[in-house]
Amino acid sequence: MNTLARSQSFGALIGVAVMLAVFTAIDFSGWWTRATIANVIHFAAILGFLAMGQALVIMTREIDLSVGSVYGLTGVAFITLTPDLGVTGAVIVALLIALAVGFLQGIAVVKGQLPSMIVTLGGLFTARGIIYVWTGGSVHNFSEDARADWMTRLLGGELFGIEAAILWLLVIGVVLNLMLWATPFGNRLLATGGSEDSAESRGVLTDRVKIITFMLCSVLAGFAGILTLADRPQTHVTLGELLELEAIAAAVIGGCLLTGGRGSLIGAVLGGFIVTSFRYELIALGAPSSWFITFVGIVLIVAVIFNQKLARRLGHSV
Amino acid sequence: MPDKTPLIQVKNLDLYFGAFHALKNVSVDFHSGELVGLVGDNGAGKTTLIRVLCGIHKPTSGEVWFDGRQVKEFHPKLAIDNGIETIQQSVGLCDNLSIARNFYLGREPVRRIMGIPFLDMGKMRDLSTKVIREFGLRDNVSADDEVERLSGGERQSVKIGRAVEFKNRVVIMDEPTNHLSVREREHVNELALQLKEQGLLVIYITHDIFQVHKLANRIVIMENGEKIEDALTSSMTADQLEEVIRQGGRKVEKREAV
Ligand SMILES: Nc1ncnc2c1ncn2[C@@H]1O[C@H](COP(=O)(O)OP(=O)(O)OP(=O)(O)O)[C@@H](O)[C@H]1O
Ligand SMILES: [Mg+2]
Repeated sequence: MNTLARSQSFGALIGVAVMLAVFTAIDFSGWWTRATIANVIHFAAILGFLAMGQALVIMTREIDLSVGSVYGLTGVAFITLTPDLGVTGAVIVALLIALAVGFLQGIAVVKGQLPSMIVTLGGLFTARGIIYVWTGGSVHNFSEDARADWMTRLLGGELFGIEAAILWLLVIGVVLNLMLWATPFGNRLLATGGSEDSAESRGVLTDRVKIITFMLCSVLAGFAGILTLADRPQTHVTLGELLELEAIAAAVIGGCLLTGGRGSLIGAVLGGFIVTSFRYELIALGAPSSWFITFVGIVLIVAVIFNQKLARRLGHSV
Repeated sequence: MPDKTPLIQVKNLDLYFGAFHALKNVSVDFHSGELVGLVGDNGAGKTTLIRVLCGIHKPTSGEVWFDGRQVKEFHPKLAIDNGIETIQQSVGLCDNLSIARNFYLGREPVRRIMGIPFLDMGKMRDLSTKVIREFGLRDNVSADDEVERLSGGERQSVKIGRAVEFKNRVVIMDEPTNHLSVREREHVNELALQLKEQGLLVIYITHDIFQVHKLANRIVIMENGEKIEDALTSSMTADQLEEVIRQGGRKVEKREAV
């Protein structure tokens, strides 16, 4: 119990419990339906990837505002390149594009010594602009062949009777958790976020750590975009708009402190679950969809206050 | 000693922080088996000088030679790889990490499982526990505790224990006895002497003139970014040493008055 309370995801766990209790109490029949739960789980899994990437970046004491656009750009690249490269080729090239975006942003942040908030805001607009130019604003679709491709079925739809996105989230979630908590790279990532000067004085190549983390964040966002489109292969230019805000909200609700060095990937995924749940419960309650952003804002503020209090109680300096 | 080539050679070093001239044409040699006391007023440039040696600052001009080779690139990792361990004055520990994780930061021992390097937490815990016990940290402090929870003296003990554990060719100590109790001070000073006896180069920065006079075989005095004195300890008494540092101070006052 003590270690649980000390872990950064404790707040998010409580949040999930409280939220489920409240939804059950106020709207049992609307919330516990097959359609609502299926939607929530699918989109929470997708958001989970973005939230984990964001969490890693926040743990290095940076931020990545570009993930919504990178999600869209990678998804668009995946669909648009498939006729020429085949599904597998398109997946590879699309992920390479995401990696390149992360690399360029990371380089700009560490070599230009620029705030990541500004660099990735630039990335947000640039990537979105490329989507408009590339698609010409038109909708692209998958051919029958591409829908039947083994790669498409591995990424979208169901595997062993479970949604592919969920299985992928489990696998990648476990890998990322091991990387963060059980490898030298993870130790250096946490150190970089905790105190960059101290990490550097111990020989940690903090610039390299940050660049790799930005690349991980972008490739996770891109992969989420591909998973979405493999499931429903249709592009539109606004794909992933405002998703960066949901990802940041999820990471923060999940216990990542913006002061760096502390956070939880499991918490970030739970945070994504909370954000997504609010969206579908509001729909189930028949509220106008525009209320969603307001609710995310409120949940975010409550979560930040709660997590701050928790951190202070544990004696962290935040 | 003069017959040996110096382990570290600093030649005509200048360093600016923006317009501020922090090191002014500093030249100094350090040999293996020496314990050099580096002293001078607050802001004299002692920390800045050793931060060049341990790769944190890149000099604006001048040369640094290590073991007969000129240092071209400055990064803490290169210095550590060269065998230079440093106890920094203000950095070196990440509050968010445990003692064990801080101890091995940047040189983590791994166990490979299917070729993937995983942290060897057992080893990290064992050695750092041994070291913090040697340094007399309270029994209720464990290697898994975050550094954030430690007192100033405990933090300093972790930094010193780590440097001594990983000692290689050079150990630089920037005011190592800060925050330490009398007993721990004696322990640290004894360790510094042992390192010297083992043939390492020890550079010891302090404001405790009488202590350093007892410990060091050579004293380098800095003032206002310049080296103003470099002499064997045997060539002066502690009182004389203190007087020279005082005079340095007076010189500055006069200059400022003009
Ligand atoms: N990163 C920096 N940027 C700008 N100025 C600096 C920087 N680091 C040090 N200085 C300045 O350089 C001068 C020398 O500082 P330094 O830390 O080397 O002094 P010191 O001799 O170690 O003093 P103390 O005994 O107080 O530790 C000081 O005036 C300080 O303000
Ligand atoms: Mg100093």
